[in-house]
Amino acid sequence: MLILSRKPGETLVIDGKIRVKVIRVEGDVVKLGIEAPPEVSIHRQEVYDEIQKNNKEAITAPQRDLPRLPGSPKEKDKQSQHQKEKLTATV
Amino acid sequence: MNTAEVDRLSVGELGNETVVHLPSGLLGFEQIKKYVLVSDPAEEPFKWLQVPGDSSLAFLVISPFQAVPDYTPEIPDEDVRSIGLEDPQDALVLNIVTLRKNGRSTLNLKGPIVINRFSMIGKQVVIANAAEYSVQHPLPPGE
Repeated sequence: MLILSRKPGETLVIDGKIRVKVIRVEGDVVKLGIEAPPEVSIHRQEVYDEIQKNNKEAITAPQRDLPRLPGSPKEKDKQSQHQKEKLTATV
Repeated sequence: MNTAEVDRLSVGELGNETVVHLPSGLLGFEQIKKYVLVSDPAEEPFKWLQVPGDSSLAFLVISPFQAVPDYTPEIPDEDVRSIGLEDPQDALVLNIVTLRKNGRSTLNLKGPIVINRFSMIGKQVVIANAAEYSVQHPLPPGE
């Protein structure tokens, strides 16, 4: 980890395109301002790590056995079955 | 949709495929900027966000409002701007489902994927009211 010291009002430049400025220090809270291109996302570490971990747990090979939700599958099964029957009837 | 660019994935005749662009990628998967959103009517309301070129890697997604009717994600202004959203009606919100053992599944309500339904450009957003919601919200059991 690169460790640098900056005073309020001073800035860091990362990869030529991200700028991090120390806006203000109030007690033990540092207010930072960040300028970055739109495709660079910026997040607080705790929530980033939580979502990243969840994304990694979620990734899977597609499968057919999906959860049932209240108010869905059985009705829809009937509908798509009905549509299939309609198509074969017109052929 | 440029069919020359999209790898043909075997989905079945009922599948409907749309390319989704995520310029920032998903958190932890920033290098993947393009996905194919697959909608099979037999699987509604679930859809699959598939990685082109690797049909074994996909995210199960769902519009959250049927399962969580009082879900009110607050999308930060910078994120709204970054996907060119002018009207909340133009947004397609999809949340990632994690399939777990014993038929239990959970929904990430802190980090929805918000897509501009016209440009199909989207972003996985950390909602401003993330503290109110869970990354592992249990999906209500069906029949």
